[in-house]
Parts: sequence; structure tokens; C-alpha cells
Amino acid sequence: MTTRTEFLSRIRTEVGKTPGLFSARTAPCPSDPRAVSETIKRELAERWPQALERFQLEFERVAGVFHRAASIAVVPQVVAGIARENEVRRLVAWDAPELGADLLDALTARGLEPFAMPPGDLADATERAALRRRVTDAELGLTGVDLAIAETGTLVLRSGAGRPRSTSLLPACHIAVFDRTALIETLGQAGVFLELWNRGELEGRIGAVTSFITGPSRTADIELTLTRGVHGPKEVHAIFVDQAIRG
Amino acid sequence: MSETDLSVPFRRRAGSALGDKHLQEALTIATTKFIGLRRDAFDEFPEGERLRDLAREIKEATLQHLHRYVEQLIDSVERLGGHVHYATTPEEARRVVLDIAARTGARMAVKSKSMASEEIHLNEALEAAGVIPIETDLGEYIIQLAHERPSHIIAPAIHKTKGQVADLFAKELKREVAADPEELTRIARVELRQKFLEADLGITGANFAVADTGTVVLVTNEGNGRMVTSLPRVHVAVMGVEKVVPSMTDLMVFLQILAKSATGQKLSVYTTLVRGPRRPGELEGPDEFHLVLLDNGRIRQIAGPLREALYCLRCGACLNVCPVYRQIGGHAYGYTYPGPIGILLTAMLEGPGSVKDLAHASSLCGACADACPVRIDIPKMLVELRREIDEARIAPWTERLAYGLMERVLASPTLYRWSKPLARLLQRPFVRDGRIRSVPLAFTEWTRTRDLPALAPQTFHERWPTLK
Amino acid sequence: MNAPVRAALMVTCLGDMFFPEVGVSVTRLLRRLGVTVDFPQGQTCCGQPLFNSGYHGGASRVAARTVEVFRDAEHVVVPSGSCAYMVRHEYPALLRDTPARAEAERLAGRTYELSQFLVRVLGKTRFKASVSGRVTYHDSCHLLRGLHESEAPRILLKNLEGAELVELPGGDECCGFGGSFSVRLPEVSSQILDKKIRNIEATGAACVVACDSGCLMQMGGGLGRRRSKVRPLHLAELLAGDER
Repeated sequence: MTTRTEFLSRIRTEVGKTPGLFSARTAPCPSDPRAVSETIKRELAERWPQALERFQLEFERVAGVFHRAASIAVVPQVVAGIARENEVRRLVAWDAPELGADLLDALTARGLEPFAMPPGDLADATERAALRRRVTDAELGLTGVDLAIAETGTLVLRSGAGRPRSTSLLPACHIAVFDRTALIETLGQAGVFLELWNRGELEGRIGAVTSFITGPSRTADIELTLTRGVHGPKEVHAIFVDQAIRG
Repeated sequence: MSETDLSVPFRRRAGSALGDKHLQEALTIATTKFIGLRRDAFDEFPEGERLRDLAREIKEATLQHLHRYVEQLIDSVERLGGHVHYATTPEEARRVVLDIAARTGARMAVKSKSMASEEIHLNEALEAAGVIPIETDLGEYIIQLAHERPSHIIAPAIHKTKGQVADLFAKELKREVAADPEELTRIARVELRQKFLEADLGITGANFAVADTGTVVLVTNEGNGRMVTSLPRVHVAVMGVEKVVPSMTDLMVFLQILAKSATGQKLSVYTTLVRGPRRPGELEGPDEFHLVLLDNGRIRQIAGPLREALYCLRCGACLNVCPVYRQIGGHAYGYTYPGPIGILLTAMLEGPGSVKDLAHASSLCGACADACPVRIDIPKMLVELRREIDEARIAPWTERLAYGLMERVLASPTLYRWSKPLARLLQRPFVRDGRIRSVPLAFTEWTRTRDLPALAPQTFHERWPTLK
Repeated sequence: MNAPVRAALMVTCLGDMFFPEVGVSVTRLLRRLGVTVDFPQGQTCCGQPLFNSGYHGGASRVAARTVEVFRDAEHVVVPSGSCAYMVRHEYPALLRDTPARAEAERLAGRTYELSQFLVRVLGKTRFKASVSGRVTYHDSCHLLRGLHESEAPRILLKNLEGAELVELPGGDECCGFGGSFSVRLPEVSSQILDKKIRNIEATGAACVVACDSGCLMQMGGGLGRRRSKVRPLHLAELLAGDER
């Protein structure tokens, strides 16, 4: 079996044989991504209405369904509406304070069967199996977002403790709730956040996966006919909350 | 299937494809659609040209220090608790995956679309070792059921009609299935979801691997990439070593042009960034993460004539615009990678002799280079391959003789002058009304479907004195 | 320009042997514009057929001869996108390790495809068409993508007195010639040609115009076999304004 040393050594040897095809540099990285990300957020604090408008346009272009709620208190009503439309009731949600402290109760009151993800991993195999069944049975998955990118109508979700990957993946309907603080304008800006989040070690409750989600799951593999909900959700809903969610 | 049978000469495989009516229709529709989608996406994207230049530059800059970036990638992945393996050959790569499967007791593996795993013929090896591989990308699932290879880099089942797909599903599920894409998709969703949940092992490729953060990037539309990297206990990513990019900032440059080039989408539905196995507190995610770095002829090209082909993002844009691919489809090429870039990749993986016919499966029109997001000069390398084939004297002696003669005549004005009365003599039996409709030997191929002009009664050289 | 412009005509091997009327048209056209036209007699071929098939030793020898033959030319005008491309873009690298290197670079810098010479060097854009009615234009691959020229021929065609340009659907798609490709993979080449001809006939044009004799031989060969009414015509013939 080839060893690390052998492999790298071969590459080094070949690289050394040629100066390359032309003078070239990699893209300049921000030396202080935190500072740049804060500048982006500061500027967006002014421009967020335009960014939101663009987000809605692009999100709908990729078949996302956009909703607007005046405050977090209104969110359960919107969610219930979506559930009613689809004639479903079982919902799994991130364990996330930004979704509202009374969320589960409010949803239950509206006839749904919500279930919050545990704040961390489950040690017991039986518990895990039961939880897995809940997730696979659920028709709705409710999450927050880390970023909403206006340029492409993309939701960016980081996995982590209490924020499992399956919530936005297994149920047929994914509902994401966010406010103006999540909005950014471009993919280039998203890059700055990726630098910020990933330069060092992953800390605390942060998980291993960052997902960029641009609309519902789709394929055109059969005769180029577009169909949705191949493996991931058939529908993606974004609920924008006017009133700031966090603090 | 004669198209993928390498013992059948390429020309005959191509001819077979030309005669396949379904294939012809599918190719016309699909490639025309992709061309339009890509054009629309870039028309709306003024920064596109600048980003293409930048992307090309990043690829070149990365190759210039590839050993450093690969080493950085290895260290980053290991720091995250992942394992890195080194495969010089396809056999080694297969061995690594089989060993992992054996050690972890895997009986079934779900696979997200990976051309690298096709390249190393992984599925056959897994089956032989008693591990059932399940392709989960719908197109790949379809061709797996059909026991075929992909015919397009990003739309592997483009050559199949919905009727053919329905028949495949019906045979597999042993029940009636309607030839309706919605219904077929629904069936795939239900069938494959079970597999995702039960599988012990998840195998993916990687569109990119970011060196400074140890991040493996998967670009998909269906969600299978997310499933495969979250539900099974073990995740193995097989990746060509040239897919390394230095930083997240570099990554974003590629993400801005990749999906646009492939399907005209601004971004694919899912871009999934995976940093190693699951973290403490995560409910889901693999306990083990393995990255298999694959050489298989790539490293030699860093200083070789096909270096530029290492920039390839596997978007398929060159296939869609290639006049040859558009007529014969992917299977006729006979190898894992079809189309213009496929000829170069095949030469890279299997040596220049393997493309002695394929290197000529091109009119050198340059549409591929135009469409390539990183501006790979494919025609230039095709000519270079033809030169290598000539130097190795692989072409038939009749061809080498003919070109040798051509050179003599063209290099000598005297011989050139005398060749014309000779040609007039030779052509005389075949000329009618200034045209040649049928002629033996070399130009028979032309005259089967086209008229050939007769040599002019007076060449320009001969007319010039009257023009003075 | 005070001194009369001198141009040496590189008539190309196909042009010389099969389409001398193209060379005649170029000569007449340029003379009418006050250009002195030379024809270096020793010319044969730019060497592209050898080069494209990988016979670079042979291509290099033919190219070196061509460089020598045109060494005294002020401008070299070529009624062929692919040959002009060969000289401008491939000669310097091909002859890099030979004594002809410096001359090759010099030649590359002063060689022009015909439409580029007319529009970009002479600044002449208005001509009288030799046929009337609709014409359609096929972009030869090497002119379009090698020399990045889609404008100059269209400027000439749009300003034509007596003829009307109609855009060819898929005009930027290959005609299937590709030199030896047309006989190495003749079935594929023919099928590509079929598509091109269908597009041409759909325009209703009386003529299909191109700047490359190779393309015209391919398209003309297919049109002729079908006994089509559409005439293949080189741009030079169309612009020369002589009734035929």
C-alpha cells in the first residue's frame, strides 16, 4: 500500500519538474474574517429590505415557498397553515431557542404533533431507534438558519448538537425560520463566513456539516423531466420574521 | 451492448449509436437543453467571465504547489479525526474500501454519485466481496439496474426513455410500474430511503476538498449526498488528488460557476461541506470518516502534456456542445469518461495507446474549450495526443505512408506542381459535371454521402499569369 | 496610408486545387481597393493537415517553407480562417526550435484572414453582392473560436448592397469537416453535416456563405449530393460583385 510519504514525495517530484503553464495565484483570503463578517453584517443592517426582496425572488425561482411573519409569536400559525395545506401533523424541530420558547405548545394547540430534537446525542440504543422512527415518520421538519443568501435564494444550515441533519432532510416538507440578521447578499460574502467558521477547530456544540440548501430536492435524470422530492424534501418553506428573533 | 464493447472498433461503435433512434432523440433534446440553460445562466451573470479566469488561475496555482496543499489537507482531515489513504492504482483504492468494509462489518453500502468510483470499478469489487453497493443518485440507480455504465458525466441515464426506466423498475420490484417520471421518482424515493437507513457504509466522491480546513464538498441536487454522509456509521470519500483547493475562499469561486456550467442552475440544490466524522453532541453522522486520495495516472500529468486536464471540474459542459458527443452519446466512447474531456482523461488513466482512435473523434472545432468553465484547451491536447500516437508509430502504415507522401509533395513546389496533372489523370474516370460522386480508396468515405469537387481545370497557380 | 498597400495572397492548398475562383475573387477585390496583390509562386500549403493529425515533424518542414516563401510580404491575406489561424497561432510554437523561429513570429504578426483584413486593416465595409436575395452565414470554427472573429464577416454581409443576411440557426456549430475527421469518422461527419444542411435550408437563403474552403467543400458536397438549390459561396466570391 502506498504510504503518505511515498504519495507526497511523488507529487513533490512531479511539481518540481515544471514551473507550470503560467503565473498564477490563489484567491486572496481575508486575513481577519471576523472583522470582514462584522462589516458585512453592519452593512446588511442598513440594506436588509433590498436583500430580503432579492432573497424572496430567488427563493421562489427555485420553487421555495416564502412566508412573512410579523413576530416569532406568529410563526406557529404559519406552520400550522402549511401543515393544514399538506394535510399532515407530525413535525420534528431543532432544539433551538431562536424558534421561540413556546413553539411546541403553540403547535400542539393548533393540532400538530411536534417533537423537539434532543439537545445532544442519545446514549441509549432504544432511545435512538425511537427517535429515528419519529424523524422518519415526520412530514414536517422545522429549523432555523445560519445564513440566507439573497443572490441565490440559499439557506445555509450548520449541523450541531440539537440541530441534526435529518430535520431539514428526511421530512417531505422543510420549514426554515429566520430574521434579518441571517441575510447576506452574495456567495462571495458566504465565503467569508465559511472562513470565519472553519479556520480554527470546530468548537462546542457545532457539528461537522454545513449545508447550502437551494430549493427542494430535485432531479431531471429521467428524460430531463423535472421532478421534486427525490430523496430530500419535496417542499422548502422560508418564514421571514420581521421582528428580530434574537435579543 | 456493442457501444461499450472495446473489442468492437470505435468507428463501428459510433455507427451503432448513430443508428439508435431513441438515443439520437434523447441526445438532441438533452444536449440542446443543457446548452440553452448554460447560456442563459452566464448571460445573466456578468462576473462569470472574470470568475472563469480566476477559477482557471486557482487550479493552476494549486498544481504548482500541489504537494503542499495535499499535505495540508491530510493534516486537516486527521486533526478532525478522519483517516486518509493513498491509492496509486485502482486496485489499491478498491483494496482500501474493501478493507474498511470488512473491518466495520459492512454488508450494504449506499453510494452518492462518484465518477472516481466508476473509474476504479468499485461496485464490482464490492459485490465480489459480499458487500451490496446501492447507487442512490437516480440516474446512477437506473443504470445500475440496467447493468450499464453512465453515458454522461452529470446525467448518467440520459440515454434511457421513461418507458425503459419503467421496465427496469418493474423488473426489479416485480410489479407494474407506470412510465411517468413523477411516479418513478416517488418509487425511487421510497425504495432508496430504506437503503439509506439500513446501510452500514456510505461511499461518495468529492467535488472538492478544501486543504486548510479538511472539508470535503459534495455538489448534488437530490439529497442523496446528505443522506450518505449522515446516516451510515462509516463514510468513505474517494477523490482524485487534483480536486484539492486551497481555501474556502477559493472554493466559493468554483461554486459560483460549476452548477451554471453543468445545468444552468445558480447553485445545485445541495452543496454539502463535510468536516470529518460527527462531532460530540451530534445525533447523526458517521463515527468514521475516510478520505481515499486517488492517483491513477493523475500525478504523472502534473509535469505531462495533459496537465491542463487536471483543472477539470467534471461539469459536463464540453459534452453538451461537442458535435461528436451530440451524435454518438457517451457509451460509444467505451470508457468511464466520455466526450472531449473524456478522451484526455482516458489517455491519462490508460495511456495514449488507448485513445489511438478516440483522439481523432474530434473535428477540433473548439466548442469544448469555449464552454469549459476553467477554459481547458482540449483541442490542443487532442492534437498533442495525435502527435504522441504518431511518434509511437501506432497508426497503420498506410496512413503514415500517405502523410509522408503529403509532406513530400507539400514541401516541394516542384512535386506539388507535378502532382496536379497526375491527379487530373487519376480522377478522370470519376468526374461528371465537375463533380466526383464516387471514388475508390481513401476518399470513398467522403463520396458515400457527399460530392467531391473535381480538381479545377486550371489551378490558381496556373491562372495567376492571366491575372497579372 | 500614403504608399499603396501590398498584400501577398496565400491562396491555400484547397483554394489552389479546387476553388481557384476564390483566389481570383480575392485578387480582384483587393485590386479594386487599390491594394497591390502579389502571389509568391512557391507556396503550397500552410501544413495544417499534417499538424492536426499529429505529424508535427512534417508540418514543421512545410511550415518552414511557407515562412520562407512569404518572407518579403508586407501583409499576407488568406481566404481561410483555419489557415490564418495556423499561421498566426501555431507557427511560432511549431517552429520554436528551428532557425525559422524569428521569421515565423514575424509572419504570424502580419497574416490576416480576408474579412479581418478588409474590415480591420483596410477599414472597408461596403461591397456590392454578386448574388441577390437572401444569404446565410456559417461561422467557421477556426475563424470564430481560433481567431475570435464573428464580427468582421457580419459587418461585411450586413452592409452588402443587393443581398440580405439571414442568421443561420446553429451557425456557430461545426459543419463536420475537421479535415481528416471527415474521412476518419465519415458517418459522424455526415450526420453533423445533415444537421447543418437542415438548418441552412430552413433559412430559405439562396446561398450559404463561409470564409473557409474546407467548410464550403463539406457543405457544398452535401448540398450537391442532395441536388439542393442552395449555393455554397465563399465570402470573397460574394463580395467581388461580379455577376456569375
